[in-house]
Amino acid sequence: MGDVQPSPGDPEENRDPVDSEKKTREGNPTMRPVPETQNQDSKSAREDLGGMGMSVSDLNAYYGSFKAVTDVSMEIQANKVTALIGPSGCGKSTYIRCLNRMHEVISGAYAQGRVTLGEQDIYAKDADPVIIRRRVGMVFQKPNPFSKSIYDNVAWGAKINGFRGNMDELVERSLRQAALWDEVKDRLKESGFGLSGGQQQRLCIARTLAVEPEVILMDEPASALDPVSTQKIEDTMDDLKKSYTVVIVTHNMQQAARISDYTGFFYIENQGDPGQLWEFDETEKMFSNPERKETEDYVTGRFG
Amino acid sequence: MPRETFQHELDTLLSDVLDLGGEVEGTLENMVRAMEEHDAVLAEKELGVDMRYKARGAEIDEECMILQARQAPVARDLRLLYTVQAVTNHLVRSGTLAEHICHAITDTAGCERDEDLEAALIEMARTARRLFHEGLDIFRDRDIDRARDLQAADDKVDLLYSEAMNLIANPSDGNAGAPEWRMRAALTVHYLERIADHGVDIGGRTVFLVTGERIESAMQQYINRDLREE
Repeated sequence: MGDVQPSPGDPEENRDPVDSEKKTREGNPTMRPVPETQNQDSKSAREDLGGMGMSVSDLNAYYGSFKAVTDVSMEIQANKVTALIGPSGCGKSTYIRCLNRMHEVISGAYAQGRVTLGEQDIYAKDADPVIIRRRVGMVFQKPNPFSKSIYDNVAWGAKINGFRGNMDELVERSLRQAALWDEVKDRLKESGFGLSGGQQQRLCIARTLAVEPEVILMDEPASALDPVSTQKIEDTMDDLKKSYTVVIVTHNMQQAARISDYTGFFYIENQGDPGQLWEFDETEKMFSNPERKETEDYVTGRFG
Repeated sequence: MPRETFQHELDTLLSDVLDLGGEVEGTLENMVRAMEEHDAVLAEKELGVDMRYKARGAEIDEECMILQARQAPVARDLRLLYTVQAVTNHLVRSGTLAEHICHAITDTAGCERDEDLEAALIEMARTARRLFHEGLDIFRDRDIDRARDLQAADDKVDLLYSEAMNLIANPSDGNAGAPEWRMRAALTVHYLERIADHGVDIGGRTVFLVTGERIESAMQQYINRDLREE
């Protein structure tokens, strides 16, 4: 697995997009411009929008010598919402970051195992992490808009990924999908920072959607939001899964029960052990009659 | 243990249901004794219990709703609340039916009876009381193996029901009893069959509480089990 950086479509920090783009053009090997052929593809690749399934086999994730996640195998169904729950520190976020090669961004961190996105082995030697992250977008816990206008926040990722279509249409469609359009349509040129926390998070979702990924990873996207903003994000899920596959980490079990089709419970059996996927099933089953006692203890709030 | 308050509330709720079950059992006990001993005074003591049981049932129902609204239960906690609501309904209805029978006993105290039919009624009443007690015990102990046996025992009540109905339809010559008693006997047969069914259903609900499966599904798995493994 190579040394990689966050992709332009998935900025973790409030980097200046112009600055990042400049670096890209200056030859940063991991943020290179997309080849022309790919630019053309990206114009139409997602015309027939549909999510892509992922398959994870025997995944292990490490921070240096510390094994954080062990032996995870999971089929992530296309066009479904998969929720990951579990106590703090059990490896959920580490795991989700392995699904778009964001884990290895941390110094010393690496993953072993096999993760496929459709037919593509995302850890194959010839797999480009930047393209993987464009296909598997990510929304983080804390809203992180750029210091740019609302419009540019959404347009930027698509632009540097070579989008050649009608940008106005893309921005509007992305903002609508993120349930933000009606609130911002009259102030698209205003700064993204002027939005409320909930709006900023939906802006980040719109920004991710504008790159037209096939899978969207969400790491506690509503944990810092008020109930109304949380509800708006949850309400987008049903629409989003028509076009995307969604994987969401959440500490809010009722949220997992409300929005997901499948739920994975991560658990650490003994202190110091790596996290493992303890149970994975349809959400209905996980919240009504899980197979394993630890899962039931967790979802009923008896520990964690 | 986290959620101590919630657990305490669940424990209290369960205790309330079992208390109500104990009271309904007391009514059934008096009903059977009143039938056996022709004791209209004892039967009369049970008149009015229906109102009390319904009020208690409504309180338990409301408590379940409040717990669902406030505590957002899932998995076994949610199953417990659903089961408590269903079991409470079975208890209240059994109490109502027992009061109907006590009414019949007091209303027909001086009437002439058909001895064969009366014997069948008493046997059916004892069986219904036993099945109800068994169902409640299973719920208290979460003993789902006994729930399967209870399901099978229901067949005996069905048999007694058929026998009693046959006696009602075909009275022996000159021994039919007073028409009012006979009419009440027909209703009593039906009430007793229902009480036994409520008892069996309480056992079945316990299977759902413990396993998350309906008794029909659990029974099918039990029937299809590989005996060579046992």
